[in-house]
Amino acid sequence: MIQAKNRLGIIFFPAYDWAISPTHPEREERLLYTQDQLWEEGVFDITGIREYKPDIATADDVRRTHFCFPDVGSVVTESHLISAGGAIRAARLVMEKEADKAFALVRPPGHHAMKIVHGNRGFCNINIEAVMVEYIREHYGPKRIAIVDTDCHHGDGTQDVYWHDPDILYISLHQDGRTLYPGTGFIEELGGPNAMGRNINIPLPPMTSNEGFAYVIDNIVLPILDDFKPDLIINSAGQDNHYTDPITNMNFSAQGYAMLNTKLNPDIAVLEGGYSIQGALPYVNLGIVLAMAGVDYSHVLEPDYDEELMEQDREITQYIKKLGTRVLEAYFDPRSVAGSRGMVNSYFVRKKDVFYDTDGIREKQLESVMVCDECSGVLKVETVSSVNPISVGIQIPVNSCPRCHKEGYRMLEDAKKSGKYTYVKFINRKDREYLDF
Amino acid sequence: MFCGIDVGGTHTDAVLVDESGIVAASKIVTDHKNLVGTIRESLDKILHEAAPGSVEWINISTTLSTNAIVENKTEKVGVMVSSGPGVDPSGFAIGDHYRLIRGSIDHRGTVVQDLNAKDLKGALKEFSKKKVKVFAVVSKFSTRNPSHEDQLSASLQDTGDYVTRGHRLSGELNFPRRITTAYYNSAVWRLYNEFADAVEKSIADHGISAAINILKADGGTMPLTLSRVIPVETILSGPAASVMGIIALCHIDEDSVILDIGGTTTDIAVFAEGAPLIEREGISLNRRPTLVRSLKTHSIGIGGDSVLSVADAKVVVGPERVGPSMAQGGDEVTLIDAFNFSENAGFGDESASAAGIKKLADEHGMEPGELSRQAVQRAADVIKSEVHMILEEINQRPVYTIHELLEDKHVEPKKLYIMGGPAKAFAGVLEKSFGLPVVVPEEFAVANAVGAALARTTKDIELLADTEKGQLIIPSIDIMKKVGGWYTLSDAEADARQYLLEYLKNHNADTGVVPEIVESTSFNMVDGFNTVGKNIRVKCQVKPGVLLKFGKVPEVQKTETEA
Repeated sequence: MIQAKNRLGIIFFPAYDWAISPTHPEREERLLYTQDQLWEEGVFDITGIREYKPDIATADDVRRTHFCFPDVGSVVTESHLISAGGAIRAARLVMEKEADKAFALVRPPGHHAMKIVHGNRGFCNINIEAVMVEYIREHYGPKRIAIVDTDCHHGDGTQDVYWHDPDILYISLHQDGRTLYPGTGFIEELGGPNAMGRNINIPLPPMTSNEGFAYVIDNIVLPILDDFKPDLIINSAGQDNHYTDPITNMNFSAQGYAMLNTKLNPDIAVLEGGYSIQGALPYVNLGIVLAMAGVDYSHVLEPDYDEELMEQDREITQYIKKLGTRVLEAYFDPRSVAGSRGMVNSYFVRKKDVFYDTDGIREKQLESVMVCDECSGVLKVETVSSVNPISVGIQIPVNSCPRCHKEGYRMLEDAKKSGKYTYVKFINRKDREYLDF
Repeated sequence: MFCGIDVGGTHTDAVLVDESGIVAASKIVTDHKNLVGTIRESLDKILHEAAPGSVEWINISTTLSTNAIVENKTEKVGVMVSSGPGVDPSGFAIGDHYRLIRGSIDHRGTVVQDLNAKDLKGALKEFSKKKVKVFAVVSKFSTRNPSHEDQLSASLQDTGDYVTRGHRLSGELNFPRRITTAYYNSAVWRLYNEFADAVEKSIADHGISAAINILKADGGTMPLTLSRVIPVETILSGPAASVMGIIALCHIDEDSVILDIGGTTTDIAVFAEGAPLIEREGISLNRRPTLVRSLKTHSIGIGGDSVLSVADAKVVVGPERVGPSMAQGGDEVTLIDAFNFSENAGFGDESASAAGIKKLADEHGMEPGELSRQAVQRAADVIKSEVHMILEEINQRPVYTIHELLEDKHVEPKKLYIMGGPAKAFAGVLEKSFGLPVVVPEEFAVANAVGAALARTTKDIELLADTEKGQLIIPSIDIMKKVGGWYTLSDAEADARQYLLEYLKNHNADTGVVPEIVESTSFNMVDGFNTVGKNIRVKCQVKPGVLLKFGKVPEVQKTETEA
């Protein structure tokens, strides 16, 4: 019998009765062959690996994370609550030491869902990692958490949710936004004034292969994590960097994913995208599972794997090395890279246009955050979209200082009194108060 | 009339039953060196009650294969395994002749790499040199495409007495279990067939022309002729026979827990809405999981003969040391002695029990009454916490659709059934501990043999139709056929039922059974943005059941919690 080095909990929830639409990549069939592979390999008979049922996230789990317009019930379905619940179950296993590590192999994904939610963008409604992270901080106290996103698409949602949070380090490795959806994720996007340098983007050139990813982990990600010293490392484990993925252009393999996972050594992994459901997912997921459990994965290869084709061009290698230098500079000295535009009195203000590609919704946001040395700063976001009239969300952060706390309530009173907003959402993370008006 | 024989570890129980109940019963000591002799003797004891020609079937549960495997008294097996990429297959090695043959089939059943001729030649050479005569051939995803296993099997045609092909054992996906199961099947093949020959002869000698069936771990039977090619299916059928006995003896129609309390162990089984639960995966033997389907039973090391000891002023029951008890003239103080002392169980020599309890209490500076009470409570607590764990596991079983997750079916026992030697002594204590009504069936002492006598045939199959490939396969019963793009889920369900019944008929199995569809799914397969076919999966089974149930509904003992 094979024995795992790490006790690994797997929450496998393929949602075999749910699809965005019958032929959409995010459909019933997506994890079918992954399940076939995991079962045929006898993964759940490996001593130390156990399968668990997902929790079902509650509306409060969502409300402490997102401003949903008009309300939680209108933008999420049961499938989203279960997929977020799967991530929460993974977190509970690890936090309660029932397992050393946990992998939420769930769908639908979440990393394109932003702080404000009007609908589905990039196949995501709610940000399942963020809902999980907020669950962790709500139930297990303050934590420094690093989210390393290895999906091929920039996790613009996770970046947005934690833009102002200095306790959450978000690192995204993705195909350069000039060549792929959602078109963001450049080095200069380093976080808001209260969390500058806590948002790290590593935009990789198309055709980056195992070698390039290994270089990035060893020389960029790990040194940054060494400096940040997180209590928990979460891998947002998208699998669309794979060489067979139909909607991306990278050259990564199952061996590469497993190797990345070994190096990164995350406490929790959460599945994100990845739509090569026959050629990649069965092997990549098997590789990740074995790597997390500490079981030999050297025999995990795709049927059409060809080492020669996987070799990385010298030009790409050179490009990535230079990129590495710039990313490290950005992390260790963010202010030299990012500008300080957008200051209005003691608030930092930015305007955003958000497009929800799946649902075809357009949204305009005006976001202001109190620049604060003591905490993440009280946050206010005005939003208007093609489906909801002008509304506002106000958030008092979990680590709020007295000034931002007071300011949050003043903002709430003003918003209610003004009569300007159709919906007013209030998140007070400090006192666990979540209100809708 | 129906005859059931349960060849157990200590005793062999046999009964003859008809619609009215038990006609004849016997209990003799099992002679492990001569199982056929034991069976013959049991038949002698019960068959004189039966008119010639009146016995319709003889169902036998035997420990032969189990014991051979556990005691490592099996034949050497040449194992050929073709893995392809994945978990390192050297970790699944079993036996002394385990050979890896390069070659690979993927999850859709597509051959990715042909079998390596050189590897195959090397393996055959070794087998011939070591004079290996029985074989197991297993490839990954052979349940999707058995061609590699068939090729490996063909290569052994001239040298082997028997070859087990993995896909013929089960349609389930689990490569390591397939290897283990195929290995065990070949390892006991010769021994089992010798036994089957002797049983057939012995029954013929009795002048009986009844059908002979063999019990399986899932509480069902299979014809003796069929068991000759899948002898591995006969392992660990004993606990299942007891569970089937309870079904025949009691009218169970709600969620319940069954405890079979023996001398050294207690077997726990769970019923959901009156039906025994089947282990989702197969049963384990020698700590190796197999694909052999079984009822969900769980054994713990507490029984009437469990020895009592005291550690840190706390009473410990078992789990490994066993009596005989003081009450039975032994010199160990056991759980049954405690029951005699504080529950007036009236088992054997009660004064010897009392003396033993007093002596043990004195040695540890305890009050005898306190020690005895603690021992009984401890046993009840351990059983209760084990039952709780099993229920937790059942209720936390993963599901894969939103519908099932939200439906959240839970098993919540309403009744406790207890059988086995010390059953009556335990009843009161367990009733209090569980807060549930307890039933002790009247014929509990031979419930296992009754279960054997009345068990019906079981069979489960998995159908996979891939309309993109135009292929349908039911691996375990060797069905492969072409299907067109029009093939639907309801076609598949009808096919599954029909092929299953045909299979039973062809093997002269009991065919008065109704196959049911237990899982049925159809996935659209999409390539790019076009639907290219359907991936249809149907599981069909004849679930365990008994031929008839004895008329009366057992009375429920009044409990304090009810009053």
